[in-house]
Order: sequence, then structure tokens, then C-alpha cells
Amino acid sequence: MQVEQFYYDNRTVKNFAYATVLWGIVGMLAGLLVAIQFYLPAASFNFAPTTFGRLRPVHTNAVIFAFVGNCIFAGIYYSLQRLCKARMFSDLLSKIHFWGWQLIIVAAALTLFMGYTTGKEYAELEWPIDIAITLVWVVFGINMFGTILTRRESHLYVAIWFYIATWVTVAMLHIVNSFEIPFSPLKSYSWYAGVQDALVQWWYGHNAVAFFLTTPVLGLMYYFMPKAANRPVYSYRLSIIHFWALIFIYIWAGPHHLLYTALPDWAQSLGTVFSIMLIAPSWGGMLNGLFTLRGAWDKVREDPVLKFMVVAVTCYGMSTFEGPLLSLKNVNAISHFTDWTIAHVHIGAMGWNGFIAFGMLYWMIPRIFGTQLYSKKLATTHFWVGTMGIVLYALPLYWAGFTQAMMWKQFTEEGQLKFQFLETVTHIIPMYITRSVGGLLYVSGVFIMVYNLVKTVKSGSLVADEAAEAAPLPKVIETHGKEYWHRWIERKPVQMLVYSFILVAIGGLLELIPTFLVKSNIPTIASVKPYTPLELQGRDIYIKEGCYTCHSQMVRPFRDEVARYGEYSKAGEFVYDHPFQWGSKRTGPDLARIGGKYPDSWHYNHMFDPSTMSPGSIMPRYPWLMDAKIDTALTPAKIRAMQTLGVPYPVGYDQQANAELMAQANKIKDNLKKDKIETAADAEIVALIAYLQRVGVDIKGEQKAQVASLK
Amino acid sequence: MKSFLHTVYSWLQKAVVVTAALIAPAGAFAAGPPKQSELSNPVAVVMLVVVFGLLLAIALLANVVIGAAKMYLQRYKDANAGTTTKILSVIVFLTFSTAAIAQDAPAAEPVTLIAGLSQVSFYSLLAVILLELVIMIGLLYNLKLLLAKEAALTAATASSAVEAVAEENSWVKWWDKLNSFRPMKEEAKIDLGHNYDGIRELDNRLPPWWLYGFYVTIVFAGIYLWRYHVTHTAPLSGEEYAIAMQKAEAEKEAYLKKSANNVDENTVVLLTDASAMAAGKNVFATNCAACHLADGGGSVGPNLTDDYWLHGGGVKDIFKTIKYGVPEKGMRSWKDDLSPVQIAQVTSYIKSLRGTKPANPKEPQGSLFEESAPGGAAADSAKPKIAALQ
Repeated sequence: MQVEQFYYDNRTVKNFAYATVLWGIVGMLAGLLVAIQFYLPAASFNFAPTTFGRLRPVHTNAVIFAFVGNCIFAGIYYSLQRLCKARMFSDLLSKIHFWGWQLIIVAAALTLFMGYTTGKEYAELEWPIDIAITLVWVVFGINMFGTILTRRESHLYVAIWFYIATWVTVAMLHIVNSFEIPFSPLKSYSWYAGVQDALVQWWYGHNAVAFFLTTPVLGLMYYFMPKAANRPVYSYRLSIIHFWALIFIYIWAGPHHLLYTALPDWAQSLGTVFSIMLIAPSWGGMLNGLFTLRGAWDKVREDPVLKFMVVAVTCYGMSTFEGPLLSLKNVNAISHFTDWTIAHVHIGAMGWNGFIAFGMLYWMIPRIFGTQLYSKKLATTHFWVGTMGIVLYALPLYWAGFTQAMMWKQFTEEGQLKFQFLETVTHIIPMYITRSVGGLLYVSGVFIMVYNLVKTVKSGSLVADEAAEAAPLPKVIETHGKEYWHRWIERKPVQMLVYSFILVAIGGLLELIPTFLVKSNIPTIASVKPYTPLELQGRDIYIKEGCYTCHSQMVRPFRDEVARYGEYSKAGEFVYDHPFQWGSKRTGPDLARIGGKYPDSWHYNHMFDPSTMSPGSIMPRYPWLMDAKIDTALTPAKIRAMQTLGVPYPVGYDQQANAELMAQANKIKDNLKKDKIETAADAEIVALIAYLQRVGVDIKGEQKAQVASLK
Repeated sequence: MKSFLHTVYSWLQKAVVVTAALIAPAGAFAAGPPKQSELSNPVAVVMLVVVFGLLLAIALLANVVIGAAKMYLQRYKDANAGTTTKILSVIVFLTFSTAAIAQDAPAAEPVTLIAGLSQVSFYSLLAVILLELVIMIGLLYNLKLLLAKEAALTAATASSAVEAVAEENSWVKWWDKLNSFRPMKEEAKIDLGHNYDGIRELDNRLPPWWLYGFYVTIVFAGIYLWRYHVTHTAPLSGEEYAIAMQKAEAEKEAYLKKSANNVDENTVVLLTDASAMAAGKNVFATNCAACHLADGGGSVGPNLTDDYWLHGGGVKDIFKTIKYGVPEKGMRSWKDDLSPVQIAQVTSYIKSLRGTKPANPKEPQGSLFEESAPGGAAADSAKPKIAALQ
């Protein structure tokens, strides 16, 4: 058979690799700054874009979609060509994919700094960027499938299965979760409300971890680990079973982020059991990776690339064991809303994703530049600094999370809460300091890598088009003797795509549809009414400033939470919340029942400088809220958008909304004046106070009504 | 003298306990009377039954191992009348195990006797059970070793070429077995012949523990859903909350019944002693000063030093206002943060602020309050006249 000559495209690989390093540093530095803000609130510089609420989404989005995203693309573009024995389908699409993705990242960073956010974690980007992501993702898909369909290799290697599943599932998650109704060029409201929004969001959020941070990275591991170790993959059978089991089960586990919330119990239980069943499929990947090193452990001692990969895979195993444990209700009751979760995800992000990225870069960069790594010694130093960074980051946070949860739950014998919320925060500040030292070490390691890679690149020159040759794919793929049943499916990429899609769609559909259609899941509460126009404006400020990154709005049915915050949250309370704002972390106290708890002037003073109202508070100051004005021109559009989403404002209400808004604002203004505070009625702070005073009070009306009817 | 006697007595008591424990487990129970109640504890009974059951199993197992060792010794002598160090080591190990058996059971009993089924005894019993399990595993391992050696010996005798059995690292062996690894030299046999950019794939079996672990998690899932949603034998969130609240209420009541802390708005009186005032001042500084200022002059909240009160200025009124709050006016409820006594203390402290001169007093709010009766009892019924707020 005649052999064909072709060239691998290394330029795109190089571009993605450089972007990985660049955005990695940006994301990690943002992380370091937010870590410092925990014990040095002044590090928010009294400047809106650098407050925690805006910077934290920048950090998470940069690390997940910019750092890991570019790392995945670099790895896929490198490995896919070689596993398919073909150049990428289209150089133009590669270019559009690369530059499109970088543009999205820049746009994301800018809009997040400016406060344009949907208020849904890990999906904060607003609607124009959501559309751009969809388009670039489709470009990536065409490029990938084009390559696969024009391959010269008869079967698809396991890494490619993971790439395919990643592509189809991320597309599904992103599109479903990003359903939103725009009311201005850069703002929109989530299509879903309350409980449903929460379920969709965490179905997405959890599977962003699964299908953006796990499956594609497993694919990278399946390529780079056997390559670096020069060992055969341990078990093909294990690959098959753990791949299909993983993608099928993962999609169900989202509700474990919502245990003890107002989500229906049946959905919570599904989240728990599917998380437990996820242990083995996840560990299948770890075992296949580690056992591949059987007979090569002597190499691990010398090769920094393998060192990184071994620790990465081990961290993956630790995270995927811990995750299911955290999904058990009795563990979750302690861990949820604390720093325990933060420690958990950073084992995954720094250990698994970060170390795979570093291992891959150290292995790949010298190869595409036709040279050797400048210094193995420096790479090994990076490895140890990074590992120490992870340990120093995670351990204090585990400790902090556990300690704080225990303090929250403690009662005196008289039946009073033993600790004020603030006491539980100030108690763990030493742990926050240690954590930031860990983060500093980790990012220092990355700078060592940058130096090493720059030196490496300088010692070689880019092999932009790497020559290769292979026989073309025969028309009919011959089989020799007895074959694994699964070989059949590996020959047919389109089937692979369809089956993957069916499998990941099942779990999502079976959880989402009943929550949307069965009424008993969200019992109606008659006294819950839509927000007033001013409250709606205030709520948008709450979302804009990222309050949900530190404050939950979900009182769980625990004795301590009911004592501390008030009646536990009910599903029917959130039916007009587009988007929901339950939050996932309590750096500050829960706000689900903040309405009516303090006077207006308390909130005014507190937002101006939190430490005046609660001495020792680590909350940043929000002085600009006193001067900035709300955009009343947008009020009618906001009301109309809400009407479209089914919020029962009367017909034509959009036109009178601003009059009502001003009336309510003036009331608050007068109220503040009584406490010697002068403010403009249309200041942002007034709207925010209106919203805060409304949160969680509707249900109090219901309780009074019930009492009245009993009399 | 008395204390000396007491010491001697308690020492004797301990001696009796220890001796009894050392003589025999049954004896220990006979000497148990000092604290009989813990024996009726079902957990203790169950654990003790397990302890004895395991002990019995160990005895049986030990018998089998000794039998096997004897057999092995015989065969070994037949096959190779030479060194006996290996046999010796086996026997030494066995003796050690037996010694361990002899010691472990009594170790638990004194604890039971002394401490009852407190945490100490519970964990001791648990430790004994675990120790017994470890011994059993050790014995089983011995047995297996002996049987394997016997098999090797048989093979060796059959080929009449006595070779030293390759002493493999037992940890590695265990690990290989656990994962059902194939020896490295057989790798070529399980190579599937796949080649993806130089990456080959092997056809290794699934690690058995992994596979069975997977099955276990699936069974767990079934049982979990069954219990929570079919038989309802496990409490869902709401039920769990109700249970926790009932328990807390009962505990709180039981505590308050026997403590002096049981003050409420009907029974509270003005406290005047210095320690109560100091405590009250402390509570005020940490909780109230943010809104009422440290000197009580008022900012977000009203001035507490003047004679004008929004919700009554009597001790009972103030107590009530702090305890339940006046949410519509912005005063929050403190009953979940402060104990009744603390509320009484801070109430008394607030009363003591009357007439002091704060640095920047807020204008009076509410109606003029006149202390008509000690403790402000009359004021409670007085309808507050709404004074004009300027």
C-alpha cells in the first residue's frame, strides 16, 4: 500500500500552549489576590473591579476556561493529529478557534471586571459572550470531527473517546444553562427561576467539572502518560468500562451541590447515590494511569514529566474519592458552605489540572521546537515547589472549613448559639494566611516553569509543520480473528458521538423534566410576590457586585441555621428569582432572611464601611454605591423581560414602574434622613437597601395569614 | 488517717479488679459489681459477645494452624533433615500469637469494670475486637503460608530437586494478588496489538477490588433510595430537622429546670451587683454598641440614656425588646444569641446608663417613661403615647 506524506500543524499547538501559560499566570495571580483579601480587606483597594465579588469570578473563569481550556486545546491539537495520523481538518478553523477563544477570554475578563455577570457560578458570562462561546465551540467541533473523519488510523484511541464526549456534553450543558432573556446589550435574566434555576445551574456546574476539567484531561493523560513513560496502557477493558460508566453516571450527580436546600428530596437523593456510584468509574482512570507505569517507576524518579503526572493522577483519585464522600448528607451538612469545599476543588484544580498541564508542557514544548528541555533540575524544583504549594494551600483550608462548621453548630447549654458568625470567621484567619502562602508557592513554581520554557524555546526553533507519513484509511476496515465487541464502535466516530450524547442526555432529562413539570416539587406560597421595580434594580446590584460569592441565600433545615438566620428556606419562596442566588460559600452570613433584620441606616453604614457596624468584619467597603445612580431608563425593559419569563406584573406595568420605584426610593431616603444620613433617592445604595429589606420577608406574611386563619 | 484508709481502699479495689481480670474473663465479671449498670447496656453485651465469639474462633483457628505446622514439620523433616530455623520462626510466631491471645481478652475487662460503658470502655472493647481480628488475619496468613510451603515441598520432593523457595516480598505479592496483576514477563501475551502513535494497549483484567467495589456502590445506591423513598425508614431533611429540634428542646428544658438561668420577661428584676454590671457592659459593647454607640447615645438605634422610650423603659420592657426584638423598627431579636441571664445583665446595664452624658446624643424618640413602680411593672401596661418625632 502506498504511503501518504503529510504535515502536523504545530503552530496552533504552540499558540494554545503559550496561551495556557499566560492565562494560567493571570488566573493564579487573581486567585492569590482574592486569597489575600480574606485577611486584608484593604486589598480590594476600595475599587469596584478589584473587590472579591467581581474578582472571584475572574479567577474561576480564568483558571477553568482560560488556563485549563487552552491546555486542553493544546493537548487535543497535538494528540488528535498524531492519533488520527492526519493534519487538523482546516488551518483556518484552527486559527478561528484559537483567536476566537482568546477574544472570548479578554471579553470575559473585561465584562466581569465591569460587573456584567449573570450571577450563576462558572457561567457568569453574559449573553453575547455565551453566543460567541457556542460559535467557537462549534468551530472546534467541526475541526475535530473533520480531522477524525479524514483520519488514516482505522480505530479511535481512548483519548479521542474522551474528546468526543467532552465536546458533545459541554455543548449541551452550555446551551441549556445559558438560556436567558436579554434586556440590554450586555445584560440578561436567566430563563429559569429559583429551584429550577438552581438545578439547571448545578447540573451545569457539576458537569463543567466533569466534562471540562475531567474528561478532556483524562484524554490528555491517556495520550501523554503512556508516551512519557513509554509503556503500554494497562487495560483496554478498564478504559472501555470506566469511560462509558463515567460519562453516564457523572451527569446525574449535580444535585449533590444542593443537599439540604429547597431542592426536592428525591433529586437530592439521586445526587447522592450517583456520586457514590461515581467512585469506581473515576478511579478507573486513575488506576489505568498509575498501572500504566508498572515497570516504569524507576523512570518516575528521574523524569519530572512523569512526576507531575503521577501526582496529578493521585490528586485526581483523591478528589474523586472525596467528592462522593462530600455528597453524603451527613458529611455535606458539615462541609457545605465552608472552606472545605474550596480545599477540595483546589486539590482538583492545582493537583490534577495544573500538574497535568505542567507535565504536558514540559513534554510537548521541547518536541515541537525540536530540542531538549533546558533544565530537568528546574522542572523538578517546580514540581516540589508546586507540590508543597498544594499541601500548604489545602490542609489549612480543610482545617478551617471543619473548624468553622463545628463552631456554627455549637450551642450553649442554655440553647443559645455559642458563637456569633463573625467570631467563626476571625477564628480561622490564620488558616487563610497560610493558604495564601501555599498559593504563592504554587504560582512561584509556574514562574520557574516560564523561565525554563523560555530557555527551551530559545534553544530550538518551531517545527511549524512536522512531516509525517502513513497509509491511507482502507475503504473497508479489515478485522483479524476474534475482536473485542467495542472495536466496532471505535471505527465509527459518528456512532460514538451519538451514543455519548444519548448517555449523557438521559441523566439530565430524568432530573430536569420532573422538576419543571411536577407541581408538587415547588409548592406555591400565596404570599410570595414579585419584586418591586426598586427591589429588582437592587437585586441587579446585588448580582453585579457578586454578593453571592460570599453570602448564601439558603437557610438549611438545621437547628443552628434556623436559630442564626430564621425559618429555613422553602422552594416556593424563589419562584420569581431569575436567577437564583443561593450561593455556595458562606464567607459572610446567610442573607435569606436579612429582610427587616436591621434598619435601613444599618445597611447604609455597613455598605459604606462594614467594620463600623460589625467590628472585625472582613467584608470590603462599597463606597461607590453611595454615589452611583441606578439606570431607571432600563426599568421598563427589565419589567418586560420578567413578564416574558412569567412573572405576573400587571399588563402595562412597565410604564408605571419608574413612578413606583421613585416613591419607594423616597421613602427609604426619608427613613435614612431620620438617622442623619443624606442620600439621593436614585443612588444605588437605596435600591440595594430596598432589595435587602425584601429578601425572605414574604413568607412571614404567609405565617401571619396562617395564624389569622386559625383564630 | 481517713484519707490514708481511703487510698488503701481504692488501691485494694483496683488490685482486686486487676487480679480478677488477669485470672479469667468470667472471673472479671464476677468481680464486676462496683458498677453493674454497664453490663445491662446492650451495646456492651453485644460487644462482649463478639469478643468471646472471636476468641473462640481464634482458639479454633490456632488449633488448625498448630496442626498444620506439625504436619509441615513432619514433612519437612522427611524431605530435608537439615536446618530448622524456618520451622523455629514459624513456631516462635505462633507462640507469640498465642501469647497475644492470652493477653488481649483480659485487657478489656478492667476498663469495663472501672469506667462503665463510657467512651473509654467502648473504644477499648472496639480495640479488643479489632486486635482479635488482626490476630485472626495473622493466623489465617500463617495457615496459608504453611499450606503453600507444603505444596512447594510436595512439588520439590516430587522433582527431588530441593530448591529454596524464592522469598518474595509479601507486600508486593499481596499487592499483585489484590489487583490480579499478570507477571511482567507475560506482558507480550496480553498485548492487544493496538498501536496509536506508538501507544500500545494491554488486555489486563479489571482489578477485582475495583470491580466489586463498583458493585457495592451500586447496591448502596439501591438501599439508599429504598430506605429514603420507599420504606421511609431514614429521615428526609424536614423530618431530620423536626427530630433535631425536639431533641434540642428537651435538652434545653432539662438544663433550664435545674439552673438559675431560667429568667424571662415576667420574672426579670434589676441586677445591681458589680459582676452582673460588668458582664452586661461586655455584652453591650460586643452586640449593641454598633447601633446604639458604646456610650448608649444612639445612632442607627435610639438613644438609651434619656427618658424617652419607644417600647417602654421598664426592666421588663427592655428585656422583652431585646429578647424578641421589634423587627418592623429595625431592632432584631437576640434570644438565640444571648442567654436569658445575659439579657437580664445587659438590661440592667442599659438601665444604669440613664442620665449619663453621651458624647453625641441622638434626639429623644418615643414617649416619656416614668418609673412608677420598681422593675417598671406598671409601664408594661401603660399604652405608649406616641410623642411627636421631630
